[in-house]
Amino acid sequence: MSDTANKALLPTGLRDVLPPDAALEAVAVNRLLGVFAAHGYDRVKPPLIEFEESLLDGVGAVTTKDTFRVMDPLSQRMMGVRADMTIQVARIATTRMVRHPRPLRLCYAGQVLRVKGSQLRPERQFTQAGIELIGADTPVADAEVIGMVIRALDAVGVRDVSVDLMLPPLVPAMCDALQLSPEARRTLRDALDQKDAAAVKAMGGDVAGVFGVLLGCIGEAEEVLSRLQAMDLPAAAAQRRDTLAEVIALVREEHPAATLTIDPVEYRGFEYHTGVSFSVFSRGVSGELGRGGRYRAGEAQERAVGATLSVDAVTEAMEPLSSGPRVLLSVKDRLLAGRYQTDGWVTLNALQDPQDFAAEARRLGCSHYSVGGDLHAINDKQG
Amino acid sequence: MSLDPLVIALPKGRILDEAMPLVRAAGIEPEPAFDDPKSRQLTFATNHPHIRIIRVRSFDVATFVAFGAAHLGVCGNDVLMEFGYPEIYAPLDLGIGPCRLAVAEPVALSDSDDPTSWSHIRVATKYPEVTKRHFAARGVQAECIKLNGAMELAPSLGLCRRIVDLVSTGSTLKANGLVEIEHIADVTSRLIVNRAALKTRPTEMNGWIASFAEAVKQKA
Repeated sequence: MSDTANKALLPTGLRDVLPPDAALEAVAVNRLLGVFAAHGYDRVKPPLIEFEESLLDGVGAVTTKDTFRVMDPLSQRMMGVRADMTIQVARIATTRMVRHPRPLRLCYAGQVLRVKGSQLRPERQFTQAGIELIGADTPVADAEVIGMVIRALDAVGVRDVSVDLMLPPLVPAMCDALQLSPEARRTLRDALDQKDAAAVKAMGGDVAGVFGVLLGCIGEAEEVLSRLQAMDLPAAAAQRRDTLAEVIALVREEHPAATLTIDPVEYRGFEYHTGVSFSVFSRGVSGELGRGGRYRAGEAQERAVGATLSVDAVTEAMEPLSSGPRVLLSVKDRLLAGRYQTDGWVTLNALQDPQDFAAEARRLGCSHYSVGGDLHAINDKQG
Repeated sequence: MSLDPLVIALPKGRILDEAMPLVRAAGIEPEPAFDDPKSRQLTFATNHPHIRIIRVRSFDVATFVAFGAAHLGVCGNDVLMEFGYPEIYAPLDLGIGPCRLAVAEPVALSDSDDPTSWSHIRVATKYPEVTKRHFAARGVQAECIKLNGAMELAPSLGLCRRIVDLVSTGSTLKANGLVEIEHIADVTSRLIVNRAALKTRPTEMNGWIASFAEAVKQKA
């Protein structure tokens, strides 16, 4: 028994995508993957659902709370519906494609499902498209992936892209150097997550001093870098900073005009990343367009770097599609459809010849109709 | 500097009077209607052509900023704790509107009450999330009754025996025969920034944060 009176009601966070949005999304996916493919990223297609323990392994652990689970009646084991595709592609790379030469470049696109949407994106199902570069550990590899994201977004016409770079292992390395207790780390983590300068200051001592300065280091990349370089960081943290500087210089070389920012204390959602990571934003879109970074793939802990774009957010930043003009073809003229299409028309076949071609064409959203091989424009009121 | 529109959300009421000198010291002067209590306007132009100020409830300041409808705002960390919005950064303590979030109960009850024995309590509050989290951390299940004001009435009318509310001087509690039994958090107002705005317009946003920081320092 259901209290759902209306058949159109969908569960929270799920929706039907209608024209022209569905077409726009397909175009976005195709163009993004086109850019990836052109740079030698080969497409893979993992299943929608797989065993829970492989799905939630490694970097997949961040999706634990987001994953729908079902019991597999055949194997009697728990399965998870993917909430993110990165971990699946990492699994493919380190198992079935383990003999393929490194660096291995893979790309993918598909639907993911989440138990709960985020605050800004309440959708529970959405499309991801991304790349993984496996078996490389150089700043050049990091810069390639960041550059690919900028390039791909440019190809779909997203403007004013800005990439926010971060170093998830930086704060833990500095906590180690200060020998902070687990409890102090947790308090610090919460404060840094909210960029709560007052709470950091309240911790007092070296912690307040060092992290107070770090909190002020959020902004335009080169400016923040010079400030980070002026700081006396512990050796492990200093090494991270120098890698970041190298990556930024490489990205700059390729994309001199890109907006790059640094946020050295950002951490949420990047808990399992092991090096330079990033979020991608665009002015005018309220949330992230995508994110990525360096991690370890599979049981072999292979070095990897990847990026995932949320296609729903990307389409929000895209211009609407402009489809070609539409022409209504009489039953006889349906044989000319191919010729019209070659000339850039979208053709609609009349299923029976109407009395008034102009009225019928207008009703179906066509600007022209074709009878006896002749093209006629309908006289719209706006001319 | 970018000429993209910038929206600042300010809370109505008590905090506004304390916040305005800082807003002005940071170089933002709203149109005269802003200070007219009879004005029913909701958005106000400023001396910067691209900056507008909106005046909303404190909880709504956080919501506007979280969703990027406003870029900057002023709100208490009580509200930030309640929502836990990941899209809000609170980079600056403005040091205004100091008070605390506390648990209170009737004086008569507090004489015999032993909080360590609680396993479940019923609480009237405007902050159900903070309350649940606070008590869960102590192993106590809190059943919250959400009220939007006048929490102090709840115990006397038998709605529940305990409340979680903001306390500044404690005189309202006292007038209603209540006593503060547990401190949850200290509260002050913060300058808050939308995450995406800080990342996509870093120079501009950092500029405003610096201006407000300077204003706070001047005041101190």
